[in-house]
Amino acid sequence: MIRGIWNRETVALILVASALPVVAAWLWDEGVPGAGRLVFVVVLGGFWQALFTIIRAQPPSAMGAISALAMAMLAPDVGPLQFALGISFGFVFGELVFGGWGRSVLNPAVVAVMFLGFSFPAAAWPSLAIQVGWATIPAAVLLLIFGVMPWRVLAGALIVLIAGGGFSLDLVTSAAAFALVFLVCDPATSASTPAGRWLYGAVFGALIALFTVAWDAAPVQIAVAAALLTSLVGPLLDEMSIAVWRAARRYRHG
Amino acid sequence: MFEHGLSVPVLTPQPLPKSPSTVITAEAGLNLSPQMELRVEPLVQPGDRVAQGAPILKDRRRPECVITAPMSGHIAELELGPGRRLTSLIIYREDNGDRHAYDIRAANTEISGAAGASALRTLLQVSGLWMRLRARPFGTVPAPEASPAALFVMAVDTRPLAPDPRVTLGGENEGWLALGLNALGQLCDGPVYFCQDRGPDILPLEKQIRRLRVGPLHPTGLAGFQIHRHFPARLDRSVWEIGAEDVVAIGHLLSTGHLPATRLVGVAGPGLRETLLVRCQPGADLRELCYAHMKPGQQAILSGSVLEGSESRWLGFHDRQVTVIERRQPKSRNHWLETALRRAARAEPIIATAAVEQALGGAFAGMALLRALSVGDDEMASDLGMLSLLEEDMALLDYVTAASPRFSDLLRAALNRIEANI
Repeated sequence: MIRGIWNRETVALILVASALPVVAAWLWDEGVPGAGRLVFVVVLGGFWQALFTIIRAQPPSAMGAISALAMAMLAPDVGPLQFALGISFGFVFGELVFGGWGRSVLNPAVVAVMFLGFSFPAAAWPSLAIQVGWATIPAAVLLLIFGVMPWRVLAGALIVLIAGGGFSLDLVTSAAAFALVFLVCDPATSASTPAGRWLYGAVFGALIALFTVAWDAAPVQIAVAAALLTSLVGPLLDEMSIAVWRAARRYRHG
Repeated sequence: MFEHGLSVPVLTPQPLPKSPSTVITAEAGLNLSPQMELRVEPLVQPGDRVAQGAPILKDRRRPECVITAPMSGHIAELELGPGRRLTSLIIYREDNGDRHAYDIRAANTEISGAAGASALRTLLQVSGLWMRLRARPFGTVPAPEASPAALFVMAVDTRPLAPDPRVTLGGENEGWLALGLNALGQLCDGPVYFCQDRGPDILPLEKQIRRLRVGPLHPTGLAGFQIHRHFPARLDRSVWEIGAEDVVAIGHLLSTGHLPATRLVGVAGPGLRETLLVRCQPGADLRELCYAHMKPGQQAILSGSVLEGSESRWLGFHDRQVTVIERRQPKSRNHWLETALRRAARAEPIIATAAVEQALGGAFAGMALLRALSVGDDEMASDLGMLSLLEEDMALLDYVTAASPRFSDLLRAALNRIEANI
């Protein structure tokens, strides 16, 4: 008879609200060109969402704004046509063809940014200012308070990063912090079982540490590549932890 | 460790009183869940006088399903619909009627001699108490000769605004509870679990009965989650569940030969001026219980809690609480574009937030279970523990996430498919 509020759009709006400090910090640093990029991605992403709403009766999600922000912040520096192609690929094949946010396996921003990165290897990667990294801290706190962020993922990643000896503000760059909070801890695409979530965060932390040591690449590229590989192993980690749980249950209950 | 579950704040004028008042409403009816649907063979005719506890209806194909008169009175209305389904049953109270006495000698000799349980089974079945048992998987009334792999006695209720079962388990009822537990122990080959809150022991238990302590948050006090955690039901392993008050009723029957006349019911909710704790007969008239205490304006009287209750004239068969909430006005029609944006043909998926995890009581593979349910993967869902659960266990999740379609309905559909295939 009564209905609660924790539907998909509430979660998406909380994510959008928590991203506001990051937006402010990033726009402070980037100025008008950054705002132009953000508006461009939001409009294009909105277009694809509207198209899928009309043709496939698929409800749009405010989470598209977060994806748009991540694309505007993290995409390598390519021409406008290539940029439009990349973000369209990300929105459509990263998310919308699977049924929208909550049914997709990968985060569309990760797909779009890696698509552009692989397609145009010579393009320069952006660098995020240090205050963007700081701005992710209140965002993470807000998301943890509301229970939107899977805390096990965050804890797993931070533990590995600290234990890996690589924890310093230089190393855990703004890019890694942003990718961790908004791309890896995306509750819809991260692993969903408790053990799977610990491992999921740990994999991201380990990949960041590994890439920092062994790969001479831009911090943004490292962060997004780690996020992509992590979300690819996510379903496997879930499957593994469920298999272990079922085996333990069979042992315990016969 | 963390406490799993959620507290659902539902407004009510005052907390539930500590001691109940007895109310026998002038009319009573029958409100069965769809899983218990009867193909009725009436044992009485309209106009007949019945004693309290006397059998009045029987299922044609399942003779173990018997409905007894909730109070002494006469049958005012008894109508059967197509397929001999019951359409209405109304009984009017008559104050100086007597109580139906069952022959309890055979069952008592059997229990004291620990010689099987066939007389006990028969007694429970003819007195209608057998129907208080619920078997999982599927939530049906157990077969007459079946024997459970485990039995869960629920002496705890964590639903919002539910009355504390302790109120009815003290005093002379404690002896009957012990007697009923002893009798049920004869019926069950496997372990018997007694679920109670974290307070002092409700009663000392014999060795073969295990005590489970359940936290205060919903949904941990539902039998489904306790069964899921401690003794999962499977197709080849039926787990039964019964409320502690029904165990008291068994003890009452075994010692006096009569069925108890009342049961403890909490009447609460934001639509009331006064919160009540009453002892009323099964199938009591909810309008009579609530009308004198309701706020002005349109209110809906739910039998059951605000989460899984449904609007009804009579108290539900398994319900121990009544919730009165404000009736929502049906909203005026929205613009088609707004409707298209809000409610598309494809429902929105559930996002795995902490709210979802807690609404499933921290059950390990909760999100995987929800995904299996929403895509209709019955095999996977059974592996993940669906067979231990019933609709009521998903009610909190449906409330928290406003899921559409409701997971309660998806779960029932999956259970029905599995039941049809075995």
